[in-house]
Amino acid sequence: MADAVKEVPLNSVQVEALVVMKIVKACAASFPTTATGSIVGMDVNGTLQITNSFPFPTADIAASDSHPNDHMAASNIAAAAPRSKANVTYQNEMIKYLREVNVDANNVGWYTSANMGNFINTSLIENQFFYQKEPNERTVALVHDVSRSSQGALSLRAFRLSPSFMVAYKESKFTAENMLKTKLTYKDVLIELPIIVHNSHLLTSFLHQLPSSAPKDELKFPASLADLNANTPDIPLYPNLESLDLSIDPYLERTCDMLLDSIETHYTELNNFQYFQRQLAREQAKITAWKTKRTAENSTRAQQKLAPLPEDEWERLFKLPVEPSRLEGMLNAKQVDQYSRQVDGFTASITSKMFAVKSNLLPESS
Amino acid sequence: MAVDLPSFLHLARPLAPAAIGVQPTTAPVNVIIQPQAVFSILDHAIRRDIRDTQSTRVIGALLGVRSEDGMEVEVRNCFAIPHTENEDQVEVDVEYQKNMLALQLKASPREVLLGWYTTSLELNSFSALIQNFFASPETGTFPHPAVHLTVSTESGKEIEAKAYISAPVGVNAERAAESCLFIPVPYEIRYGEAEKSGLELISGAKDSENRAAPVVSDIEGLERAVDQTLDLLDRVAEYVSSILDEERDPSNALGQFLMNALSLAPKVDPQDIERDFNNHIQDVLVVSYLANTIRTQIDLSQRLATATLTMGGTDALAATGGGEGGERGERGGQRGGNRGGRGGGRGGGRGGREQREPREPAE
Repeated sequence: MADAVKEVPLNSVQVEALVVMKIVKACAASFPTTATGSIVGMDVNGTLQITNSFPFPTADIAASDSHPNDHMAASNIAAAAPRSKANVTYQNEMIKYLREVNVDANNVGWYTSANMGNFINTSLIENQFFYQKEPNERTVALVHDVSRSSQGALSLRAFRLSPSFMVAYKESKFTAENMLKTKLTYKDVLIELPIIVHNSHLLTSFLHQLPSSAPKDELKFPASLADLNANTPDIPLYPNLESLDLSIDPYLERTCDMLLDSIETHYTELNNFQYFQRQLAREQAKITAWKTKRTAENSTRAQQKLAPLPEDEWERLFKLPVEPSRLEGMLNAKQVDQYSRQVDGFTASITSKMFAVKSNLLPESS
Repeated sequence: MAVDLPSFLHLARPLAPAAIGVQPTTAPVNVIIQPQAVFSILDHAIRRDIRDTQSTRVIGALLGVRSEDGMEVEVRNCFAIPHTENEDQVEVDVEYQKNMLALQLKASPREVLLGWYTTSLELNSFSALIQNFFASPETGTFPHPAVHLTVSTESGKEIEAKAYISAPVGVNAERAAESCLFIPVPYEIRYGEAEKSGLELISGAKDSENRAAPVVSDIEGLERAVDQTLDLLDRVAEYVSSILDEERDPSNALGQFLMNALSLAPKVDPQDIERDFNNHIQDVLVVSYLANTIRTQIDLSQRLATATLTMGGTDALAATGGGEGGERGERGGQRGGNRGGRGGGRGGGRGGREQREPREPAE
């Protein structure tokens, strides 16, 4: 954090349980379309406390749900929602009303849903830039991964753009030269903040009753098997035994597919860049040719005692191609990084589960 | 999946004087409450304004979906409404309610107004007044009954909730607006598959002193689940051995249940298991290895793309550098392979590592 932050820089995010549930609900309801929304709260000594949230209205998905491919379009609209003008108005309106019922009336960022970790894209960057460039720059992006949460632990992450990236993005300088100068790599785009979930006293009290509090007196033995099956006891919410599920292959497969997509993007980027290089080389060759011709012409003119022609006319005659932005490639690299870490995570848990199964079925071999 | 109440008696309720042509429904109503609505109500209860009002309760509107036949309502969302209440009058910010409702419906068009909640169990004449407001044709849920949810939020007591619908009672016309008959209806708190992981995380914090818990990674979650399972298995084993030692009374039903559970274990040939196990674990590790290889290559390519300028060359070098990043897989792959192998070994425990490792590069 080289940036001149007056106060303590944000170092962690504390999310109220209500917000977790609201985000989970909003994201799950619109899955697989992206859902976005705004979060409110305040920051206390470098900890950003998020106390409430509300979803952004999206272009009516209900009207277009007849088309199976439309959810891509709807996703794009929803992904762009946090920075659209209508939603800024909506957000201000909503915050104005929330203030009346004593909710923290201070926008601290936005949330979005993701699918198997595919959240690193220009949309995320643009949204977060939009929020972070405003006077109140202490905002975060919360990313909730719906698919990953469904197979075990909840996946909720908080991100901010790094100050150096903010500067670069503001000037939209993503040329090789500039990146070399600022030493900006894909690893410096996003800063992840640790998330802590916090419950209120009332909620803690409520959670102790959920599902239902355990019976206090001695239970009677069930009369028969049917009796036992009919009255199965409630399973506690924590710890979640769902994470013992063995079928991980679909997730692995999906991640691999997306990894392949990323590689394709990478090659497109490479090709673009190579095209630019060829173009540049051709132009430069032309310019050199023109220059030598002009010099030769001038020397003949000098012999004929004529005024020399200007030698810098080439700047007007030839236009050098613009270097393509490195941003896309950088984000793609970050995305690949994210995918492969995700695969690592999957591998770690599936191998341990598999060894558990093996030694369970073949006790003698372990 | 649900926190259910025991059996419930559905009372037929008196018919409301209906406008002609619109038949109010008299079907029994089941109320389903999603956890985030309860969370929201509790949050509101904490944030109530104690400065300028004597009332100890807050009110708000319930939003959600109603099944097609109107028999089941699902409370999905709610919002707070400012109100003041004292000895002889109650004031509800109707304007606020209208605007907020419009805003909420804009974001989730499928939800409708279902009723209202308050944070005390008491039902009084003000409740009736508000209930009639929410059940009226112009501003409320008519012809469907408005649901009234009361949640107790007194400190030191259990949180209790009750759901009601209402029917008008026969008093004279002037007093009809402020009287109604509350009929209790059954409700359950139900959560879906998607909310489960969220609830898990939240309940993880319920026993800790500062009421907070960090978000855990998959592997930590797995560890806890395994620990929990082992604990449960230990308890069962203890119970069984205490029966064998004739310390406790046996139960046929429990015995049968345990037998059934044990017989679920598949009977497979050890060789088949060995083969399938090796195949699968190789697949998984290869995926991990390749993913890491790709990451290394992309990293390399990114570095080369920006690093060539220091060599004093022109941009033409950058192009070859970028291209090579993709093609020169050998070096990057080798490095990624080591990393992948190590990652797999770490995750998979120590057993059988020597046997696996040499095979990976061959893939």
